[in-house]
Amino acid sequence: MRVLATLLNEWRLFRRDLAGMVLLFLMPLGLTVVMALIQDAPFREYRDYVFDVLWVDNDGGPMAAKLHDALSSGQFRLIDTVSGRRLDSTALRNLVQTGDYKMGIVIPAGISAEVVNSANQVANEMSKSTGAVGKLPARDTRSLTIAMYFDPVSKQAMKLSLLNAIDKQLTRTQAEMILGRLSDKLASLDSTQQTRFNLQEKLQAVGVREYSTGNAKAAQLNTNSVQHNVPAWAIFGLFFIIIPIAGNMIREREEGSLMRIRLIPGSYYSIITGKLLFYVLLGIGQFYTMLLAGRLLMPLLGLPALYMGHAPLALLVTVTMIALTATAYGLLVGALFQTPNQALPFGALSIVILSAIGGIWVPVEILPAGLQQLAKVSPLYWGLDAINNLFLRSGGFATVWKPLLILLGYTLVFVALSGWIEQSRRR
Amino acid sequence: MLLIHDVHKTYRQAVEPTLQGLSLQFPRHCIAGLLGPNGAGKTTTISIICGLVNADGGQVEVLGLDTATQLAQIKQKIGVVPQSIALYPTLSAQENLEYIGKLYRLPNKILREKISHYLQLFGLEKNAHKAIRHYSGGMRRRANIIASLLHDPELLILDEPTAGVDVQSRNMILEFLRDYHRQGHSILYTSHLLEEAQQLCEEVAIIDHGRLLVQGNPAALMQLHQCLSLEQVFLHVTGRGVRD
Repeated sequence: MRVLATLLNEWRLFRRDLAGMVLLFLMPLGLTVVMALIQDAPFREYRDYVFDVLWVDNDGGPMAAKLHDALSSGQFRLIDTVSGRRLDSTALRNLVQTGDYKMGIVIPAGISAEVVNSANQVANEMSKSTGAVGKLPARDTRSLTIAMYFDPVSKQAMKLSLLNAIDKQLTRTQAEMILGRLSDKLASLDSTQQTRFNLQEKLQAVGVREYSTGNAKAAQLNTNSVQHNVPAWAIFGLFFIIIPIAGNMIREREEGSLMRIRLIPGSYYSIITGKLLFYVLLGIGQFYTMLLAGRLLMPLLGLPALYMGHAPLALLVTVTMIALTATAYGLLVGALFQTPNQALPFGALSIVILSAIGGIWVPVEILPAGLQQLAKVSPLYWGLDAINNLFLRSGGFATVWKPLLILLGYTLVFVALSGWIEQSRRR
Repeated sequence: MLLIHDVHKTYRQAVEPTLQGLSLQFPRHCIAGLLGPNGAGKTTTISIICGLVNADGGQVEVLGLDTATQLAQIKQKIGVVPQSIALYPTLSAQENLEYIGKLYRLPNKILREKISHYLQLFGLEKNAHKAIRHYSGGMRRRANIIASLLHDPELLILDEPTAGVDVQSRNMILEFLRDYHRQGHSILYTSHLLEEAQQLCEEVAIIDHGRLLVQGNPAALMQLHQCLSLEQVFLHVTGRGVRD
């Protein structure tokens, strides 16, 4: 009865503070949407983008054509004409230098001939050692370089993406030519062979393919902006519940209503339980509002919809545990400080710090090793870890019990500390 | 009603002890006044009586129950009206009283009846649903008293119940206290208004620096100290020096 009475009383107090109520729901919602939108670009894989690349072909042969086709079919759009003028090497360099374009490629003259010459040299060497007759035309090797230009502000990942694509295509084309020549030689040695021996096919016997470690749905997910930002900022927003909790506790002390409660017989823990229960319910409501926004609102903004795993009960338990930890932290802050001016800045800043080291702002995986260890100090890290296990790894209870136990540990420590501080005030 | 024997209390970081072997005794069913200048130890004594503060040493019995071991029973039998308005300012009187009544585990029907009765008695029924923060000083004091009466306490303890209220509200409060006493309840009361204490109290104790100075019936004390009023007795025993 006392627990329910306290829960109802907290609701009445909360209802009176309409601005606080709106802030508690709308601010995290706004933050989540903004962060998901802002971080959408950095979270996208480079293969999702099409980059403009300036293209000057001084060769005009099949090698340049193959490179052109290979790059164009991928994530690069090759541009050889700007403002109606066909590009040359100098114009290309200037356009990249001024930052109008991020990168450019100049194919040197004679590259196709050089590749053919190299293939012929290999085939001739082969013929000599096997005793085959006939010699393909070949001359000494000349060194040619495909020139690449990058805007200094280009990201390393973008440079590597283009370099790898060209390198791969060069190697592939050269290998194809050499293998073609060798196939021809082998066919000429065996006159009874009806069909041409396909060396290329034989060399493709072993391939590479990505397989999922979880279920099929989760396997389709990459960590995108919505999958990271919605749960992360929902946890951040949920922890901000400490502001009204600590504020109300201090106000109760200052106004004397806490004294009134203490004058009434019965355990103070029933009052604390009622308060905890109310704020946990509020936190759960707030968190699911964010998840719903991730599910329904994000697609309207051109972002992917939030995938929420396949364990709704485990999710509810996890959210409840996070809300409980946040509420207990609020009790501790409320007990620790004497005035709102002390408690509120500390509470807000501590959440920002705990969220920063806990992987809310950026995934912990990309932090330095030392910070990755420090992240484990933050309860927000364990909350996000549990949610990621449910959403990204499509796990169930078995995957969240450890972070939930750690969160329970934090909760017990926070409640015990706040109880001890309140008790010591009576001395 | 109250037995205090050799009670000591020194707050952390305090330069001097607040109570230094305070001993006093009030009989049941009387209106008793605990008087003293600022810093005498009145509020600390009341806080120890109702369990808000622990004494460092000594013995306190309230209605025959020991505060060290029977605090829950004591809290059920006493009603405390703190000096501050110990109510939620954003809630209405009705909501505050409903919550407090439920914490006392009063059944809903009885609680509703009591709230209605006391709101009417203290002239607050028309403003029952108005937030406390919109009340005048006198209305707040009256609501503060009602909150201590819902569980029908045997002993009512009031810390400066008439401080800062208008004459009408003060008169209403004092009339109520007399009525409540006539119904067989005990009252312990602190005030700086010595004329009020002289009129209301059957027994007074004047304390200073955490010690009892004098105790007895106001008329008897005036006679003993050859004074014309309780205020003169007060000045006689506590001195005329200004207190912080």
